[in-house]
Amino acid sequence: MSETFHQVVGRKVVSRSSAQELGTVSDFLYDGVRRSIAAIVLGHGRKARIVDWKNVTGFGADAVMVSDDDALREPADERESQACSGKRGLVGKRALTETGNELGTVDDVVFDPGDGRVLALVVAGRERPAEGLLGAGSYAAVMEAEQDPVT
Amino acid sequence: MKLLFPASAIMGLPVVTVSGGEDVAEVRDVIYSPGLGHLAGLSLNKRGFLSGRRKDVLAAADICAIGRDAVMVRDETCLSSPDDAPAEVGHPESKRNVVGDDVLTEGGVSLGTVRDLVLLSGTAGEVVGYQISTADGGDGYIPLPAQLAVSGSTLVVPEITKEFVVHDLVSLSAAVDDFRAQMGPA
Repeated sequence: MSETFHQVVGRKVVSRSSAQELGTVSDFLYDGVRRSIAAIVLGHGRKARIVDWKNVTGFGADAVMVSDDDALREPADERESQACSGKRGLVGKRALTETGNELGTVDDVVFDPGDGRVLALVVAGRERPAEGLLGAGSYAAVMEAEQDPVT
Repeated sequence: MKLLFPASAIMGLPVVTVSGGEDVAEVRDVIYSPGLGHLAGLSLNKRGFLSGRRKDVLAAADICAIGRDAVMVRDETCLSSPDDAPAEVGHPESKRNVVGDDVLTEGGVSLGTVRDLVLLSGTAGEVVGYQISTADGGDGYIPLPAQLAVSGSTLVVPEITKEFVVHDLVSLSAAVDDFRAQMGPA
């Protein structure tokens, strides 16, 4: 079972306890150490809010369910503020190899909606396993050199 | 197939961390001394238009790889202040520029003058050849042995180098392997 970033963007986020719609998914915050989604970003800019993955109780086809209205929080540090303004998203980033060559742009991210694990990146039309992803930040996603087309 | 490129092509490339995917600096210039066989390191600019020089330097030992599109380092701690870096990077000799130096074979034949260094992609800055201006005004590339004799403003290269003067980087890539095979282990 897997979903992609493009399938999920715009999906509504609903509180399980109040049945209120809290917003829609705009981006993910990526945890490079665990290669998984750390949190979901709702909305954009100053009004953007974050839901930690542990408060996501169900990732369904029609809505993302979160525990309650309090699961929403403001960005806590600079990294999260950047995520809210869309600067940290994996999709749209350039993909570099660890040897310093550009592979193309990250077109999409495939993940497991059950546990938030990132399974693969789609770079320049090719799906590449997430095991090759070494790090990702505001400038680039860095992939293992085996993915390198030139050497 | 090895990818080679001139050292001047890395000026302005971003310095990117492998672990964080952040661009922490950009390349200002290469620091090189003939005889090393590889770059000593890189001097840096801050990232972004007109942001100016960055005091920190990047020693070759802290470079993961230099590629076509970026210089990769492990993390931001790889940049070091000139006083903490090896002397060859932090405080390089002022007269170390090889560009313009005469290239002489051991037999006393001038092959031309050095125009640029040629780097091997994917390494921490291995210098495998020089781009030279030949006496007739043309352009050429010569492979370098792993070890190089240096003498002031003249570089002395093995006699057989003159048989390996090529005119593009693709031919140089092959020439380096043949040349080093003939030279035997350094």
